[in-house]
Amino acid sequence: MKISVIKYQKLWWAISAMAIALSLAAMFLSWQQINAPLRPGLDFIGGTRLQLELNCELENNCPQPIELATVREILTSQELADSSVQRVDNFGISIRSKNINVEQRSRLISALEESIGTFDPQKTQIDTVGPTIGKELFRSGTLALIVSFLGIIAYVSIRFQLDYAIFAIIALFHDVFITAGVFAILGLVIGLEVDSLFLVALLTIIGFSVNDTVVIYDRIREIAKDQPELDIREVVDLGVNQTLGRSINTTITTLLPLVTIYIFGGETLKYFALALIIGFICGSYSSIFIASTLLAWWRNSRSNQLAVE
Amino acid sequence: MQKQRLLLFLILTLVLGAIAIITQLPPRLGLDLKGGSQLTIQALPNEENEVIDAFSLNSLKTVLEKRVNNLGAAEPVIQTVGEDKILVQLPGVNDPTEAERVLGGTAKLEFREQKRDTDAQLQVELQIRSQTELQLELLRQSPTTAEQQAEIARLTESLQNSNQALLELFASVDLTGASLIDARPQPLPNGNNWEVAIVFDSEGGDKFAQLTKEIAGTGRTLGIFLDDVLLSAPRVGPEYAATGISGGRAVISGNFNLDSANDLAVQIKGGALPFPVEVVENRTVGATLGQDSIRRSIYAGLAGLIGVLIFMVAYYRLPGLIADVSLIVYTLLTLASFSLVNVTLTLPGIAGFILSIGMAVDANVLIFERTREELRKGKTLYKSVESGFYRAFSSILDSNVTTLIACFALFWLGSGLVKGFALTLAIGVLVSMFTAVTCSRTLLLFVVLGMPKVRQNPKLFCPNLTVSPKS
Repeated sequence: MKISVIKYQKLWWAISAMAIALSLAAMFLSWQQINAPLRPGLDFIGGTRLQLELNCELENNCPQPIELATVREILTSQELADSSVQRVDNFGISIRSKNINVEQRSRLISALEESIGTFDPQKTQIDTVGPTIGKELFRSGTLALIVSFLGIIAYVSIRFQLDYAIFAIIALFHDVFITAGVFAILGLVIGLEVDSLFLVALLTIIGFSVNDTVVIYDRIREIAKDQPELDIREVVDLGVNQTLGRSINTTITTLLPLVTIYIFGGETLKYFALALIIGFICGSYSSIFIASTLLAWWRNSRSNQLAVE
Repeated sequence: MQKQRLLLFLILTLVLGAIAIITQLPPRLGLDLKGGSQLTIQALPNEENEVIDAFSLNSLKTVLEKRVNNLGAAEPVIQTVGEDKILVQLPGVNDPTEAERVLGGTAKLEFREQKRDTDAQLQVELQIRSQTELQLELLRQSPTTAEQQAEIARLTESLQNSNQALLELFASVDLTGASLIDARPQPLPNGNNWEVAIVFDSEGGDKFAQLTKEIAGTGRTLGIFLDDVLLSAPRVGPEYAATGISGGRAVISGNFNLDSANDLAVQIKGGALPFPVEVVENRTVGATLGQDSIRRSIYAGLAGLIGVLIFMVAYYRLPGLIADVSLIVYTLLTLASFSLVNVTLTLPGIAGFILSIGMAVDANVLIFERTREELRKGKTLYKSVESGFYRAFSSILDSNVTTLIACFALFWLGSGLVKGFALTLAIGVLVSMFTAVTCSRTLLLFVVLGMPKVRQNPKLFCPNLTVSPKS
């Protein structure tokens, strides 16, 4: 397989520009609706999530699937009308409400038990996050994001050159942006919320994206040194082609476990895996089609003084 | 060849060691996997106390330790986090509501007066309580079976009964921590002994004088209670029978050394904590739910691993098989490292590990692709393998360092959940670099050098090999 990334570079750029435009549009729409580019979860704005499951080993405790209407009635009577409720399987419910304290919570649970049945404490999950903690989680996560950006720029600048680092960062923004865009869309369509695991996913995508770009850059640098007579565009094409097999195989071997997590991993990890899957695919794409072509275009546009170090 | 044998031997030793570690010392599981409650309790500053200093926070921690002991959890973890928070982990607690209520209340310190004619009873009850405490202490240290779990619950209950009995031997005189200004350890002028100095405000000072006057010289004691649990029961000397200890200042002396004096001061001060506390975070996972998560994660991990193993053999043939061997070595070594570094495995931690499997293969992929290129240039198998490693190394290093930088940022700045992920991923990356450059390399060279049939058949390394001198 041989591809010329340079020849169709305008096409790749257009594809990426469109994906980014779509992401921006989704975030804008989301901003209009909920005042945030992505739907923030419990971890960032605080709140309480209760997951309860009926204990079906007790006699007559699970006569029929839980009626959501009953649950909503009880929530309204407890002044928690604006909470959202979902049924988990037939005999479980997941309630997401504003931050409630321990008294309110036990009142709610006993009211539910009275009209629905006894819950199994072994299968109960409670997540309560205060609003200040949420802000702190968000702040520390964002700070971690910025610090790793700077760290990566510094490292790539030292190992390569500053312009390599800048294009690697552009590719990386591209990946993070599109992943966030997809989650903005999911937030709008299915109400998916982003939590601190999503921030973790973004950070991992950053690591992977740069990782991928660096391998290609490494090859470009090597070819440029061995064959200084070549034009930078040829160098980039050669570099991409020589590392293509590796790029594809590594993406496959990394995606394999992620796909299994997505399928078998359970609710918490499912969307974490999805974020990584999207980000890693973007990462491979941007390393091959964006970071390298931008580098060629930039060096070529200064071609008169081009010197390949 | 000699060197390869030596390295092979080293790897084998490491693998056996790893297996031994994993079986003897399985990785610790986080609360989201084994079930339990994790509460973050924050001290809230108010007008009088805008800053929460280290001593106050430590006092709060001691108060919470006392309260946790009443909950009967095995192996609880209580640690201060940041400047104003305390993290409490209660594995296996089934009633988070009770825990939250007990831990979230403001501590209550009270000075009480011992009732008449209760001396003998007091001695007996104190004796029983200290024995129960000792037994509980011992039980909590060892890993707990269901039987020991039940024993802990039983002892906790009898401890609560003891405390209740002790409380009933004392009468309230309406002197609480609200009147207390300070409690500090201070050295005695004569030598190594220490005492605890306490200071009341003026109203509290008057009440204290009245209380001490009542009991001075009678043999009855002054009970200092924290959350209705007796902390200390000092006597008041007969010299105070006339006026009581007046002036709002007093010292509690006894056989204190610096540590025990500090201990008591921290507890008294903790009960007088002038700021309210609040449970700001509660994450509780039922035990069954946690086990379900483990099972799913193990399935996911195994399925991912098997997928990668199959892919490698299918695509890279013989070297793929070798990569598979080193991938398994990698898995064992990484799991052993988790045990050694004492990583607490949480759900995101397992995700980090599974992810690192995929990334561990990358080093091998880089090397094999390079090896194939060298073969296509017409080099011998041995030379191709060697320069494959040599030339791939800078890529491996650069790409892993960038991942490590991200891990470092996450570990440094992230919260608990995020930290676990960063740590497992970082360990994975480091171990993968080690296995790629030692394990894969040694095995490959061993096969190439040691098996002439392999050496003469480069197609095992690169199907459809056509040599072109320059690409």
